[in-house]
Amino acid sequence: MQNNFILQVENITKKFGNLVAVNNVSLNVVQGEIVGLIGPNGAGKTTLFNVISGLFPPERGRVIFKGKDVTRVVPHVICKMGMSRTFQVTRAFASMSVEDAIRVGAYNRHTNKETLEIVNEVIQFCDLGKLRRRKCADLGLAALRRVELARALATEPDLLLLDEAGAGLNPSELGNLMDILKEVNREKGITLFVVEHVMQMVMGLCQRIFVLDAGELIATGAPEEISQNPRVIEAYLGKRAIR
Amino acid sequence: MDAVIQLLVNGALMGCIYALITLGLSLIFGVMNIVNFAHGDLVMISMYMAFWMGSYMGLDASLTPLITFPMLFLLGIGIYYALIDRTLRQKYVTQIAVTVGLMTFLRAVAQLAWKAQPRSLPYSLISGNFQIGSATIMTSRLISALVSVLVIVLVALFLSRTWPGRAIRAVSDDLDASSLVGVNQKATYALAFGLGSALTAIAGGMLMTFQQVDPTMGLRFGLLSWCVLALTGLGSISGLLISGIIVGCAEALAMGFWDPRARLLVVYLIFILVLWLRPRGVFGRK
Repeated sequence: MQNNFILQVENITKKFGNLVAVNNVSLNVVQGEIVGLIGPNGAGKTTLFNVISGLFPPERGRVIFKGKDVTRVVPHVICKMGMSRTFQVTRAFASMSVEDAIRVGAYNRHTNKETLEIVNEVIQFCDLGKLRRRKCADLGLAALRRVELARALATEPDLLLLDEAGAGLNPSELGNLMDILKEVNREKGITLFVVEHVMQMVMGLCQRIFVLDAGELIATGAPEEISQNPRVIEAYLGKRAIR
Repeated sequence: MDAVIQLLVNGALMGCIYALITLGLSLIFGVMNIVNFAHGDLVMISMYMAFWMGSYMGLDASLTPLITFPMLFLLGIGIYYALIDRTLRQKYVTQIAVTVGLMTFLRAVAQLAWKAQPRSLPYSLISGNFQIGSATIMTSRLISALVSVLVIVLVALFLSRTWPGRAIRAVSDDLDASSLVGVNQKATYALAFGLGSALTAIAGGMLMTFQQVDPTMGLRFGLLSWCVLALTGLGSISGLLISGIIVGCAEALAMGFWDPRARLLVVYLIFILVLWLRPRGVFGRK
């Protein structure tokens, strides 16, 4: 790779019938950074994530991961290449134990014997030791978010997409999660791309932020710039908020 | 009283085989949400294959699964890629049409190949019977039931302890989430369909040690397995065995005390009652 972009999104357009959910969006993510994607409800954030991770093929545009075009590559192959993600509505494997759910992720790069070691390491990292034999269906939201994170980490990604990982968490749980994410980025060198509603989390975590409104990218910049940007304030609070 | 015990013993032993057949159906339905109407006909095909190997190769029916298991596994994988894979994102009606079509096809093939008259094998290594109290137990039925239970336990271990087993459970819980952590959806579906089909080979071989086969038999096994699955719900292996035994006993009692022709009527009655009262089954996950 000449540049150090781990992810390049080029002119992505995704429609559902007549509704344009994502309109001609281009953005780059640099290897090693933590970037955020924010925007009001229905701005197309999750749709863009679904296109990037291979769940929805877009109408137009390309997704380039580590220099390779993955626009129409199936999700499990993209995962093998080093991208994983979590979901807005938690989707841990309900009928499985925490340990087994994480192990499914570990098989991405390891044989049966090695997976146990990976699982132990990730469980410790995400502070799930006490819950490892519990069924996912019996866990609360904060624990489920950690299970999803652990499962994604077990695949040993280079790029991790987090879809509203902070939603529904109380301040102490949120702080906890942010600590883990910073560590993921610093110690494991994993690039993080987060969709987030919780401003505290975006501002505290991200080095760069993209703002999406009604399917279009309206701003890019450091957290301080973004919070001053009139178009962003307008998108969030309406026109009258700008004096 | 003795008659009741005798019927219950026979019914319970048959019930274990029903549970094995249902395990295959449950695997396919649980993982890819496909209603495989041809499942009972795969049992019928397996029985004919056992019959063939018994009459032309001199192989004992109870040993035929050693050959038919891999054959049915491959057949299942072939069916998956040729038919099922194309219908997954279609409407339910399309899926039903495809598996009902397969059912009709298998039945027609059996009628062409083996004519309509029932066939059976003259003897088996595990024939004979013995007495426990007042009940007479046929060795072939007892061993068939034991083999069924053993295979069910092995499949449960496979699902809980191995890589492909965990992948099958993950895909069954959440398709998209599993593919995003590296599980190959198509390969896992094909594996589940292949394994689900291959289990009918074991049931078919064991059934041929004491039963005859005819081309319309698939309907009976299809219906029976649907009834057992409805009673169990999804996701409970022990529940499968209990449900199989309940259905087997109900069928045996109906045959003994009412009329042999009433056996399917009783099975159907249970089916309807369960769907009416406990549509998610009695033992399965919520």
